[in-house]
Amino acid sequence: MPGKDVETDNVREEIRQYILAEFLPGESASNLRDDTPLRTGGILDSVSTLAVVDFIEKRYGIEVEAHEAGVENFDSIALIAAFVESKKTLV
Amino acid sequence: MDLELTEEQQRLQNAAVEFARAELNDDVIRRDREEVFSFEGWKKCAHFGALGLPVPCEYGGMGVGITDVIAVMEGLGYGARDQGLLFSINAHLWTNTLPILTYGTEEQKKKYLPRLCNGELIGANGASEPDAGSDIFAMRTRAERRGDCYVLNGTKMFVSNAPIANLFVVYATLDARLGSMGITAFVIERDTPGLNVTRAMEKMGLRTSPMAEITLEDCRVPVTARLGREGRGVGVFESSMEWERGCILANYLGVMKRQLESCIDYVRKRKQFGQPIGKFQSVANRVVDMKVRLDTCRPLVYRIGWLKAQSKSAASEAAVAKLYVAQSLIASCQDAIQIFGGYGYMVEQGLERDLRDAMASTIYSGTSEIQRNLIAKGLGL
Repeated sequence: MPGKDVETDNVREEIRQYILAEFLPGESASNLRDDTPLRTGGILDSVSTLAVVDFIEKRYGIEVEAHEAGVENFDSIALIAAFVESKKTLV
Repeated sequence: MDLELTEEQQRLQNAAVEFARAELNDDVIRRDREEVFSFEGWKKCAHFGALGLPVPCEYGGMGVGITDVIAVMEGLGYGARDQGLLFSINAHLWTNTLPILTYGTEEQKKKYLPRLCNGELIGANGASEPDAGSDIFAMRTRAERRGDCYVLNGTKMFVSNAPIANLFVVYATLDARLGSMGITAFVIERDTPGLNVTRAMEKMGLRTSPMAEITLEDCRVPVTARLGREGRGVGVFESSMEWERGCILANYLGVMKRQLESCIDYVRKRKQFGQPIGKFQSVANRVVDMKVRLDTCRPLVYRIGWLKAQSKSAASEAAVAKLYVAQSLIASCQDAIQIFGGYGYMVEQGLERDLRDAMASTIYSGTSEIQRNLIAKGLGL
């Protein structure tokens, strides 16, 4: 399903741009890889994770439950994008 | 960004100065000494519109924009000697009224906002705890969902307005394991069984603004008392802090301007060694420092209004302003006392009260240390 891959790529890129703009000003996009640890790497703390949650809820029309915002879904751009895709599938 | 007030903003600010001078300065020395809150002043502020400045007219407020609010607050700070009363207004506005306006349901807004604006209700905010101050999201107050209700248990510390408030915004965690995603905000009325104002707290400054500890013991509130979504209390809290950090500082611009003007007047008139003391460089330099601080603080505060008027985040900018204005205010209070010498040290002059009031500014709404953390975070550090 090439269409879905393209969509996932877009989601990853949008999340990357959001994190760079909000939490890593001046950082090169190439230094924020899909698998760069966000929570465990100290880029996102609990409050900035909430900002990311707000961003993806508004951007993709999904709803994130409190128990879903942990490391398992928010520790990398790849994980967040996969989470967004799984939520969008349910909509 | 234009720092010049519009004609309308200048008119509002002038009205605030005149109102504060005429109505808010009675008996401040005694009330400060005896820790007396002015209910009369509160009602006058409600009548003037100060309690509902940013609230839309349909909910009983003035419906003015953020920069207009800052202009009015600067005017109140300039005209009023009772900084405690202004502090209570700020607590009421930014940590209670505005969260209800921003995150409340239509039912909550209609129920509470008109009465918060007309002075009938006094708002307070319970966030800090005995073991959760700067580390606010480590709070232990629990909210347990039971059917159509939540049951809250815990203790809230340093609750401004608590002894006089009849409406509290309280933060509690649904599950400590969820961290900040477990924190949820609630609107709780004073007479709710289980909510108790347990211990009034005496302060160094801002003594006309009462403060207390509150406890929640099996405090049962309906689901309709929740403010915003479950687990989104951090957003409510951060939003209220951003507003408070910006707008409370506007009062201090007024205080610093008032002090500067009175110091200029004093050093021109006061003569020692055969000439006005303002002719001595060591005295003049203090006045110059006060002027430089005021002129550098003002754009920082108005920048918050400028950003928020465009619906942009001002988190980092509010932290910069809070950090710098608070330390500038304290330095200028000290300079004013030194310039007035023995007279400045006397209670009747009011400058020692200004300093005591100012000392809290590096502590509340996030300490200066926390503001530095926020700024560092904004730099991606």
